[in-house]
Amino acid sequence: MSNDGLSREEVLAKVREHLSNELEVPADGIDETTRFRDDLDADSLDLYELVMELEGTHVVRVTDDQAVNIETVGQAVDFVAQRLGAGA
Amino acid sequence: MTTVALDGRGAERGPEAIVAGARAAAAEGIRLRVFGDPAALTAVEEIDGAELVPAAEEITNADEPVAAVRSTPEASVVLAANDVAEGRSQAMASAGSTGATMTAALFALRRLHGVRRPALAVQLLVPGRPGPPTLLLDVGANSDARTNDLVQFAYLGAAFSQAVLGVAQPRVALLSVGEEANKGSADVVEAHARLAGAQGLDFRGNLEGGALFAGAADVIVTDGFTGNVVLKTIEGTAKTVAEAVRAAARSGARAAAGGLLLRPSLGGLRRQLDPDTTGGAILLGLRGVAVVGHGSSGPEGIANAVRLAARAVQERAVERTSKLLEGSGMTRGELRRESLRAGMRDRKGP
Repeated sequence: MSNDGLSREEVLAKVREHLSNELEVPADGIDETTRFRDDLDADSLDLYELVMELEGTHVVRVTDDQAVNIETVGQAVDFVAQRLGAGA
Repeated sequence: MTTVALDGRGAERGPEAIVAGARAAAAEGIRLRVFGDPAALTAVEEIDGAELVPAAEEITNADEPVAAVRSTPEASVVLAANDVAEGRSQAMASAGSTGATMTAALFALRRLHGVRRPALAVQLLVPGRPGPPTLLLDVGANSDARTNDLVQFAYLGAAFSQAVLGVAQPRVALLSVGEEANKGSADVVEAHARLAGAQGLDFRGNLEGGALFAGAADVIVTDGFTGNVVLKTIEGTAKTVAEAVRAAARSGARAAAGGLLLRPSLGGLRRQLDPDTTGGAILLGLRGVAVVGHGSSGPEGIANAVRLAARAVQERAVERTSKLLEGSGMTRGELRRESLRAGMRDRKGP
């Protein structure tokens, strides 16, 4: 299912839903300042899967350099929203 | 009917081995979609139940797997993995680059819910011992494994042993440097403590390397670095011993006569030690089935890799693994919470 054209808020909601389900953490414990590694015990593979899920693809389009710079949920939302062409 | 996506590139013994293996598997009613070079695999089109799918590119052992899988969407192994993800096939098998196969499968099929790290498992046939093979995992998917990864590997292996190898209640052991609970690395000692009280698992404690073939366990768990060293040591030792036996049998007339008498028995032993017999390794902990065939697979090895993939589908190995993990409270979230409760923060960083 295409997620193109989602607003940033909608992207955030989908990111929270995905992370809550996959990492088995309560969605209300995830906000934009939540850190992938330190707070969620997530790693680059989790980030790849998050982006693939939201982009609806089997192809990893996140480079290692990009992954290193995504440390928080908010940064992940920015990254995905930009690629999906989200409105403000 | 099960359809297996077979990577038609990368096998060391070439397209002939792929075609012959595909023909043998298809003759048993397994449908195949073979991804590769149409010019080299035209014979696939003559196989009833097999379909040739052109794949323009190949990822080799020389390529860095993650970068290659990312940048080569038309590679045969990537297309095969995507075929499973998109539901045209139910499982994949490849005798090409192990790293590329694991990476393509990991990205396309994704991890099973609640699994942090998939593990690569091989079947060890125990010479002279009938019955199901012993499963050894991880043999290379993760060179570094945390305590909770080892715990999950135990469940992944047990579920596969039960579902696919037919062991009713698999006995699970941790590979270590001593049988006592306090022997081994800190992660092994902690994993032992977690598994000793775990639900849904018949945990038998630690096992030393010398007891790998003793038949004391159906599933042997270790980290991918150790497992890979163990596997390569077994393969190298078996080859060296086989060469020594051959040389001894040719050392004189009496030895040659003895060798002739032993030939039928030694043939059976060679078959048991041949990686082609089991069809290769299987990547456990994904939402689909991926078999990593031995690079040097011949036709029988290719056919057995396809058979293993099909059997895992037919026996619902993925669903049964998920049920065991969820039912035993051994998903990554549960394990993380348990570690925090026990004040035993998982030792290594992500």
